Amino acid sequence: MAKPAVIVVGADKGGVGKTTVSRTVLDYFSANNVQTRAFDTESPRGTLKRFHPDITEIVDMTSTADQMKIFDTLNAVSPSVTVIDVRAGLLSPALASLRDIGFLDAARAGQITFAVFHILGPSIASLDEIAETANFMSGAKYFLVKNFINNTSFFEWDQSTYNSYFHRIKDATELTIPKLNEMAFEQVEVASVPFLKFVANKGIRDEAANYSFVLRGYVRHWLANVWSEFDRIKLTDIVGSGKVGARGGEK
Amino acid sequence: MPATPVYIICSPRPQVGKTLIARLLTEFLLLKNGKVVAFDVNLREPSLLDYLPNVTETAEIDNTFGKMQLMDRIIVDDDVAKVIDLGFQSFDEFFKMSDEIGFMKEAARRRVAPIILFAADTGRVSAREHQTLQLQIPRSRLIVVDNEHVVRGELPEAFATGRVLRVSALPAFLKTYIDRLTFSFTDYLRNEKDSSTELHQWIRRNYFSLRELELSLMLQRS
Repeated sequence: MAKPAVIVVGADKGGVGKTTVSRTVLDYFSANNVQTRAFDTESPRGTLKRFHPDITEIVDMTSTADQMKIFDTLNAVSPSVTVIDVRAGLLSPALASLRDIGFLDAARAGQITFAVFHILGPSIASLDEIAETANFMSGAKYFLVKNFINNTSFFEWDQSTYNSYFHRIKDATELTIPKLNEMAFEQVEVASVPFLKFVANKGIRDEAANYSFVLRGYVRHWLANVWSEFDRIKLTDIVGSGKVGARGGEK
Repeated sequence: MPATPVYIICSPRPQVGKTLIARLLTEFLLLKNGKVVAFDVNLREPSLLDYLPNVTETAEIDNTFGKMQLMDRIIVDDDVAKVIDLGFQSFDEFFKMSDEIGFMKEAARRRVAPIILFAADTGRVSAREHQTLQLQIPRSRLIVVDNEHVVRGELPEAFATGRVLRVSALPAFLKTYIDRLTFSFTDYLRNEKDSSTELHQWIRRNYFSLRELELSLMLQRS
């Protein structure tokens, strides 16, 4: 049986696209036949749950009962990959909780695969987040995600300043999520389906839908670019699911 | 049943006779099938809409909504041939978008047959863009229009590969005559009793070439 893998997607700032990135990760695993479960910490109403209702559960990361629900079941449940979409402002406290319950030690000892997708915001405050988060990252795969999805001129701060923070974390990897056409993004929001189903012109229950061919094309193109970033970091290898094979949803 | 054709008349350069080809093709399809839908993406040049307002709609592709309005219409297999008169300002954006959204592949899936009629000229820009299009469009679907009014001699070597649709030049006075907004090629054929006139023969020759083109494309698909 594969080693359990936990992927935390978070940021200390809201509105930087955490849930969007989580959705692309879930679509990527789905297309690569990696069984996945997800936890949405936007209690009581989760956005991730709206798009992936069958595999997502809403939890409160600060409650011990829900922490048990996530981490005590890592070895027991069949999907070996767990994606946690951490609510804005909760990334550092969540990582501190993981440290306190011994999860980070288990990751360091190689019993669990642990990866963090840290979504960066446009402001200098994001850099301080990196420094803060870095303290927890020993034993984890750390990905700094520049998310351009809803803003083209995203990074206002100086590249050399960013680099000085970036290099403080050993083995950190940078990821770029490209911009998606605004209207296409909006239509997927309205449809409330995974990106993959939108591309395949299907509703949430796999029923035939009637989305615009143009918008589906834009989403397909964008998703292929996002997935090529995940291919680049060998995401399926990281979660112990082997090589990327032929998959649906791409051009 | 053959796939629904979508003819895209294009060039990265202005004043190379795109609208003339679009008019000929639209009138030919209307005469042959009784039905055609034309789109004018050409708003700053002499435009198809002015010549054939009853079968032409305007379209714009400089915003996503406009792209949806156009592309979601032409991707439908409804047995009604479509003609797009693509203005030179929209050339880059149209083919960039087509490539990005996978237009050619989706068209094949939906039994829609896009045919690109590239109006050639002697400039380097056209040669370069034609070369770029060859990477995106299957050879059998990329037709070079050799318009004698524009090329005035041998077709440049860059256009030598693939199928060519030739349009011969007319004397200046006849060119002026057919450029009048009220002029219709089919009406001329119907009303002009003398079939030996130069214009009569020119129109018949072009209609014949278009029918040959259509037949060859149908044979390729079957």
